[in-house]
Amino acid sequence: MNTTMHAELSALCREHPELKIEFHHQNWETDFLRFFRSQVNYNVRRESSHLTASVYKGQRSCSFSIEDPDMAAVREKLSETLAIIDQLPPDPDFVDLEDDLRTVPQFEYVNNIDAVPLATKVNILARLASAVEPMGFRIYGTFICNHSHDRVINSNGVDKSMAHSPVMLEVKAVSDSNEVTVLQSYGGESLDRFDEEEFTRQLVGKVQAATREVVDVDPGEYQVILSPRCLAEFLQYLSWLMSARALDQNISPFEGKVGKKLFSEHVTVRDNPHHPGLIRCLYNSEGHLYQSLDIIENGVFRNFLVDNYYAHKTGLTKNGNVGMCLEFEPGDTSLDDMIAGVKRGLYVSSLHYMNFMNPRETSVTGLTRDGTFLIKDGKLTRVVNNLRYTQRITEVLERIVCVEDTSVVVPFSTNYDNFAILTAGMPHVLVDGFKISSSTRTV
Amino acid sequence: MKKLVFDTIQRLQHPKVQFADVRLTSTDEQVIRFERGELKRYGSSLDAVSLGVRVLVNGCWGFAGTNHLTRGSIDKAVQRAITAAEHGSRFRRDKISFAAHEPTTGSYFFRPQEDPFLMDDEAKIGYLAAIAKQLTGHDQIVQSTVLGIFYRQYKIYANTEGAFVDSLVYDTRGEISVLASDGEQVFNRTWPGHMAARRGGFEVIRDYEFERWAGIIVKEARDLLTAPTITEERADIIIGNGHLALQLHESVGHATEADRIFGMEISYAGKTFIKPEMLGSFRYGSDAVTIYSDSTDKAGIGYHIVDDEGIPGRRVDIVRQGILVNQQTSREIAPQLGLAPSSNMLATSADDFPLIRMSNFCLAPGSGTLDDLIADTERGYLLDFTKTWSIDDNRYNFQFTTEIGWKIEDGRITGIVREPTYFGITPEFWGKCDRICGPEEWSYHGTFNCGKGEPGQAMHLSHGVAPARFRDVVVNVKA
Repeated sequence: MNTTMHAELSALCREHPELKIEFHHQNWETDFLRFFRSQVNYNVRRESSHLTASVYKGQRSCSFSIEDPDMAAVREKLSETLAIIDQLPPDPDFVDLEDDLRTVPQFEYVNNIDAVPLATKVNILARLASAVEPMGFRIYGTFICNHSHDRVINSNGVDKSMAHSPVMLEVKAVSDSNEVTVLQSYGGESLDRFDEEEFTRQLVGKVQAATREVVDVDPGEYQVILSPRCLAEFLQYLSWLMSARALDQNISPFEGKVGKKLFSEHVTVRDNPHHPGLIRCLYNSEGHLYQSLDIIENGVFRNFLVDNYYAHKTGLTKNGNVGMCLEFEPGDTSLDDMIAGVKRGLYVSSLHYMNFMNPRETSVTGLTRDGTFLIKDGKLTRVVNNLRYTQRITEVLERIVCVEDTSVVVPFSTNYDNFAILTAGMPHVLVDGFKISSSTRTV
Repeated sequence: MKKLVFDTIQRLQHPKVQFADVRLTSTDEQVIRFERGELKRYGSSLDAVSLGVRVLVNGCWGFAGTNHLTRGSIDKAVQRAITAAEHGSRFRRDKISFAAHEPTTGSYFFRPQEDPFLMDDEAKIGYLAAIAKQLTGHDQIVQSTVLGIFYRQYKIYANTEGAFVDSLVYDTRGEISVLASDGEQVFNRTWPGHMAARRGGFEVIRDYEFERWAGIIVKEARDLLTAPTITEERADIIIGNGHLALQLHESVGHATEADRIFGMEISYAGKTFIKPEMLGSFRYGSDAVTIYSDSTDKAGIGYHIVDDEGIPGRRVDIVRQGILVNQQTSREIAPQLGLAPSSNMLATSADDFPLIRMSNFCLAPGSGTLDDLIADTERGYLLDFTKTWSIDDNRYNFQFTTEIGWKIEDGRITGIVREPTYFGITPEFWGKCDRICGPEEWSYHGTFNCGKGEPGQAMHLSHGVAPARFRDVVVNVKA
């Protein structure tokens, strides 16, 4: 957003004291390389600018969005909005827009779209492809650089700006002979922390494990080591039910549970934008300052994630957190020791197509993916077909018996629309009684 | 706009460009949502214009999209697409090429019976507000929603072969839902279910008869609080249209997208259990099962004159009397399978890269009514309205839960069951399909949210289905 538009949007808020207006403007760009079979599939370069506006007159509201906005278009849409807003039924639950005026300085960052050009990406991928090719594997995945600049302005004086340029590399090595797959990923605010040699070493190590015989296992309860990525995914799903919105909608299992011990004492989870290595978040989408929040502490449920609207509606204290920077506190067991302690169990690398069966119960079904391994007598011994689990997430957290002594940064792309790249800091965990309901008979 | 597209495609008529296409879309969307009888959202995104340039250079695709429609931005997009293809080709071993196609020109403008973008706002909101009010004030109903989404997209497609087509379509999604609670458990019911989108304007909302269904779903949601669960391990099931569309979508539609055969979706959506050698011989289902892709049917959301790489709309049998005979393909992939392109390359907006997508993906009808089918079933369950869905990345192992099931004994409905969950392996499951209802029960069910690709795209598409029976299915899965 240029300075003229910024000033005019602020002025527009002041011109209409009878209204509460919130503007969210975003300039967004991606350079997105997708590869398969150790070659380019396609490269997408996309840019857009976008403005959304929420307009309240008393408790009546209307919102609009404009692509490639200019002030003439904003004024026209606002005028159209004012022409209809009095006809709309009120929302008695609306009290006010965000009023958190605290600001923090924008951190310095590099624009990775410029810093990591396509030629650089292609060279890295060519080296990774060469590393796994002798073992009969090829690489598939994405190499993404984004650049976005967001600004939130509202009638309460909120005026927040935040810029980002995250980078994410996700590489799946897939066997040409039987499609056994392993995954290695990197994400962060720059490629500075990307250690190509270590990344390659870990990928090749996983490929070597993936060349073992493929076996099936029967449905039943297993001792399972969940990778950091799996743990992050379970927590992301659960964090949706830890929101004040879910509480209001009667689907949260955490109603009346603040301060109660619900999970294993090994479980401590925060939403922590200050975690080193995670992609930073200064504000939420309404402009509320993003701060560290204890969600679960030694198994005790501490806080709901509460945005402005549902703080007013539920009476919970607003914190503005939405689970964008989840951190699971590491424990005291090395991964090697964790594996060594399993008599017969499974190592799960990644989850796929998980959905709630009953959110109030936190029951889900989903599948393993990107490398499931049999652990026997303390060693990874075989590749296992992808498996279906049908399980309550709360039971997973109840049955965590030990936690790895270090955590890694797990990157995720939200993938849709003007997507964001998020990260979580997660260790491996060992879980008892994980419920496998069927085999896919495929890898 | 046409001139902008025409000028841009002319600039791409260059010897080093093997093929190029340019798309422009202008999209309008309006969302109205009530919760517990109160209007929570009335929002619109109008005239969202974007342009995309796709080029094939040195046997590699490059793509750039923008929503800045200035000459400078479009020039930059053209250059970025070409540069991306040139750089990308250094890491592209199997160079892409395909045969030229006879260019198509034409226009298609869908006219809704009631244009939601021209309707009086008060009338539109008032209609939905009345439904929202009907869903409130009931014991044990703790949440209710009424949703209306109105969509209109104008699109221009042009390519370097001379294709030039423009079209205007309207799609509408409407849904009502309630959540019942006894303080411990919660159960939801929706109407018309998970796939609640159709081609059309506000008439789609009226056709759903929300006034009549409001009372039905309130009662059923409350009844589910005390309903039993299925106790048998296996049972015969009839799947109603409100869920069968999704069963078809997940276990056949996505499985027969040929980009998955070649691993192009491994990084996100996944693969498929189908291999090229299965075409023409693999038994995908019983003799009763014929499944086709038909982008020529104007009644479905998936109708088009050409897809997003200039291939005219086609009807293609995918499974014929149980045998896998074809795939949904692109110009790049079809020749590798010895097939003709199936006209399934589509993108959500012009600044999205086209992918192999379902259009109108349909289960051919059999004969008889749903009542006939129930009467013909000695013991079993009628399952309907999707609650949960999950399928593995080979599209082989699936597990679905529906909102409600009805117990069938001696050919009659004798009660309801809650959260019926069934599990299957795709070809085995479709092999157990012994009867499909007739044309009188067949209808389109569509979605706005079929996710695929990276960057991800949420596609509009539809499925034609009629209720079908599957024998001896695993129905007792619990968390």
